[in-house]
Amino acid sequence: MQDRADSHANGKRWTLDHPELGTGPLPVTPYLSTEYFEQEREKIFTRTWLCTGKKGEEIPRPGDSLVLDIAVGKTSLLLVRGKDGRVRGFHNVCKHRGNRLAWNDHGACGSGLTCRFHGWTYASDGRLIGVPEEDMFFDFDKRDYGLSPIAADVWEGFIFINLDPDPPETLHQYLGEVVDLLRGYAFDRLPLSWSYTAEQKCNWRILRDSQLEFYHGKALHQQFAGKVMINKQQPSCHVLDAKLFRRHSMMSFYGDRRNTQRTPMERLMAQFGASLKTFPGVREMDRWPLGVNPTRSKQWFFDIYYIFPNFHLVILSPFLFVAHTMLPETVNRSTWNARGYFPQPATAAESVTREYNKCLARDVWLEDGSTLENTQRGIESGVLSQYPVQDQELLIRHAHKVAEELLASDAQAG
Amino acid sequence: MSDTSLPEPFADLEPLAAVWALATETERNRQRLGSTMAQIQACYDTLLPRMEAVLTYLSTFPPEPPDALPQETRRLLYLALALAEITTAVELHQQPSVPAGFDPQRFIPDHERTRP
Repeated sequence: MQDRADSHANGKRWTLDHPELGTGPLPVTPYLSTEYFEQEREKIFTRTWLCTGKKGEEIPRPGDSLVLDIAVGKTSLLLVRGKDGRVRGFHNVCKHRGNRLAWNDHGACGSGLTCRFHGWTYASDGRLIGVPEEDMFFDFDKRDYGLSPIAADVWEGFIFINLDPDPPETLHQYLGEVVDLLRGYAFDRLPLSWSYTAEQKCNWRILRDSQLEFYHGKALHQQFAGKVMINKQQPSCHVLDAKLFRRHSMMSFYGDRRNTQRTPMERLMAQFGASLKTFPGVREMDRWPLGVNPTRSKQWFFDIYYIFPNFHLVILSPFLFVAHTMLPETVNRSTWNARGYFPQPATAAESVTREYNKCLARDVWLEDGSTLENTQRGIESGVLSQYPVQDQELLIRHAHKVAEELLASDAQAG
Repeated sequence: MSDTSLPEPFADLEPLAAVWALATETERNRQRLGSTMAQIQACYDTLLPRMEAVLTYLSTFPPEPPDALPQETRRLLYLALALAEITTAVELHQQPSVPAGFDPQRFIPDHERTRP
């Protein structure tokens, strides 16, 4: 395969391909304004597909369930695998008088899920199937009191939900081009290997934007990524490709891992297992999914796929990816779940290589985490009214535009 | 005393194991953050030259659950995992913690509750 890297990361200004986005600074209003956040809650988070970050394999058997509290939707959700194998979602609210139905993060409701309050029982498809003293209710029909559904569907194993029970687009329509670009990736073969959750006192967009560009790689992650990112031909350029979709986006990053001085531990780890920092090799590249290293560059570092509004896939190799799920709680509080998917160790030695990669990823995320609350405080100080966005931060500019359009189009409809 | 010994070829690593052979990431990370850089460097410098032998030895055992491993092997695995934990301190940060990093105590490892 011809190395096309010469024609990429070569000074191109990606933003100029999208004149509708402009090149001006962006406002800080979304990080600060409670009114703006309420609009986002109403017009984005309760109407678009959201990734839960959970995978279908976490509820493998009929009746297996999990509970998710979605603060931005002001609700608790119950995801259940039905007898037909489908994953369904419901508000986790008993339809008698509103008590919380399921209490455990994970459960198995083989013969039904029973509310603790008065013993109402629901089937895994949401039907109300048992009501103690049913004959004492008036004009009562159990069919009127099934659990309130939300939309739930699965893409490449990831469970998505939509608080609109009847969304105008299916999940696959919503995901659009991303489905084809990543088809064939090893999502089904890489197990969840580590997962960290952090509550952050910052707006969800600060969290989101922190994983939406890699301009910060050269400074914040200098030790981890600085040398890899050195581009002698075009020192300011680190983007191989950028694709903007209707809602979502992707960026492919330049990195010359072959020229990096390997540390002693890195050499050992590469000898005994998979590694985050080792270049995965180019021989098989033609068989990679179209959307992984889409320019087929030998100077490929990793790709980000951003699924609007709350899900990032970071594909670091054919055998390692990361998934970030981010959800707001209030205008200045958010939850961040960062997960690593890595080959299942075959030996105790490979458990060590997995641990090494986990600790490396964790420490890099702790660097990311250091900026979040400080940025929120900085913005709340009132020093900034807007901020400049460089060319390779294009995905932030695009995501802002996508949100603005959703907020505006609904305003017209309303 | 069987849970305080390593497999025979690695008996010389016993003093390190007494400090670092801890069962969970949280414990190993806490040990790292509570150690001086000199202590961490000493652990790294002693373990690294033995690591190829350690990993070759561990290659003959199944990965998990650790409870299924012989006690000595499990202890050696925990020690090797501790090297994985401190490597970033030595090779990336040159200090025990991530410089100006987010508080690790607020970065909750969910995998410790449900997974290895």
